[in-house]
Amino acid sequence: MITAAAVCPAPPLLARELTGTDPVLPELRQACLDATAALLAADPDLVAVVGVAAETRQWDARAVLDLGQYAPALRAAATCPEQADGNRDHAASLPLPLGLAARLLDEAGHGGSRALHSISDRATAWECAALGAELATAAARVALLVMADGSARRGPKAPGHLDERSVPFDAEVERALRTGDMAALLALDAGLASELMATGRPAWQVLAGALAGRQPASGILYSGDPFGVAYLVASLTPVAEGIGPG
Amino acid sequence: MSDPAVSADAPRAQGVLRLRASSFPPAQPLIMGIVNRTPDSFFRPGVTWDESAAMERVHEVIADGADIVDVGGIPAAPGAQVDAAEEIRRTAGFIAAIRAAYPDIVISVDTWRHETGRAACEAGADLLNDSWGGYDERLADVAAEFGAGLVCAHVGQQLPRTRPFRVAYADVMADVLDQVQRLAARALAAGVRSDRIVIDAAHDFGKNTWHSLEVTRRLNEMTETGWPVLVSLSNKDFVGETLNLPPEQRLPGTLAATAVCAWHGARIFRVHQVAESRQVVDMVFAIRGDRPPARAVRGLA
Repeated sequence: MITAAAVCPAPPLLARELTGTDPVLPELRQACLDATAALLAADPDLVAVVGVAAETRQWDARAVLDLGQYAPALRAAATCPEQADGNRDHAASLPLPLGLAARLLDEAGHGGSRALHSISDRATAWECAALGAELATAAARVALLVMADGSARRGPKAPGHLDERSVPFDAEVERALRTGDMAALLALDAGLASELMATGRPAWQVLAGALAGRQPASGILYSGDPFGVAYLVASLTPVAEGIGPG
Repeated sequence: MSDPAVSADAPRAQGVLRLRASSFPPAQPLIMGIVNRTPDSFFRPGVTWDESAAMERVHEVIADGADIVDVGGIPAAPGAQVDAAEEIRRTAGFIAAIRAAYPDIVISVDTWRHETGRAACEAGADLLNDSWGGYDERLADVAAEFGAGLVCAHVGQQLPRTRPFRVAYADVMADVLDQVQRLAARALAAGVRSDRIVIDAAHDFGKNTWHSLEVTRRLNEMTETGWPVLVSLSNKDFVGETLNLPPEQRLPGTLAATAVCAWHGARIFRVHQVAESRQVVDMVFAIRGDRPPARAVRGLA
């Protein structure tokens, strides 16, 4: 059963080291950390993380994100010769969303069990919902951390330049998260999301499947597009269906 | 052949440099802004001869990003005699005024004389920038006495304020390494702290243009000694002769040489144009991977 859920974006700049001297968006990092802390406050038996990658699979919970993929100078600084043997089974880098989520959990002080799942960027809504349902039953009390980004085409300087359809698309996602309308997330148009570079679509649909009709109460902790990519941080608490106080 | 594992020629890692109350790691390059209290230096002669103009210049170099202010009272080139008393008159009071205005800035005095070095340290100087290769051996004693830093420069056989005349080296960099390391050892023996000793190839000093180009090309051999390396390239004749340009047109050539020295790991850059040099040095240190970008967002959003 899902006891709490959080939604965070997964831009590389969430890793503080990557932005250089300037922290760039400390308020976004703080919102993500707050959402993660709220997740952990629900006292879960397991934290399940889901993020979008090339394929649907589970990842080694001890693996980490190799920031050197984005900043080779950081890899050189972090790698001592004795650490460079590469013979550990978790030496391969996590996909970006999962790696950032792992960092959030570490920073929030989560020492308990975690399960890292990627969902294919081509997964259908049904496949996403099925993974969500599976994660919801992975433990008695599951906290779900969903790493998902909105459109990267929100302005002329955005990574994908401007596509005006991005505005209503992201507004609909935000409305659905704010009001707990999980059916609206399952109904998102995968083709349109792809055209809008809204990479988070499968992850939102995993969330919808995990909450399976239980309309969550939610709060939006951050919503903005300072670099032309829609970032949304939300904290969700499922209501009803026997989960009461005590 | 000696065992390479214990060879004195094996590269040594750069360590922390301490000047005044500050500790500067190898990844933090320092810009030394030149403020001449002379009427007759080669670059913009006399512009800071007047004390108020000189103090304006100090404000400017610090605002432009200088970490060190280098005060000199005698031009390097031959010219009107300036005795120690006059040199002190030009520098010591001015150093005291800088110290009063900027309690934490590192102040350097460009002198070869121990009398001037002593007066400068008493006025608040932190670094004795001896461009003339330890001509006055007692300068190291002053550095030791005051806990100041000392620059150990290569001048070959030159005496202070003389120009090179038909100088020849079998291997100029070998001569540089030999002389600066002997001077560094002498400074240590005099009691100068090892983390306050700096070495300098001294471009143009006892060198023709070919020699200065060679030491620039091979500056890594100096940084591999482990001693922090200072370079003084700014608008010098080796730049002018290389590009056939007068002093006021030597900035691009100066910055090119600056970039190469920064790439080789020089840590102190003595310059006239502080803002431009700061940008070049910070850029090269970022390319080296020693310094993060100021603000990286491209492709990361």
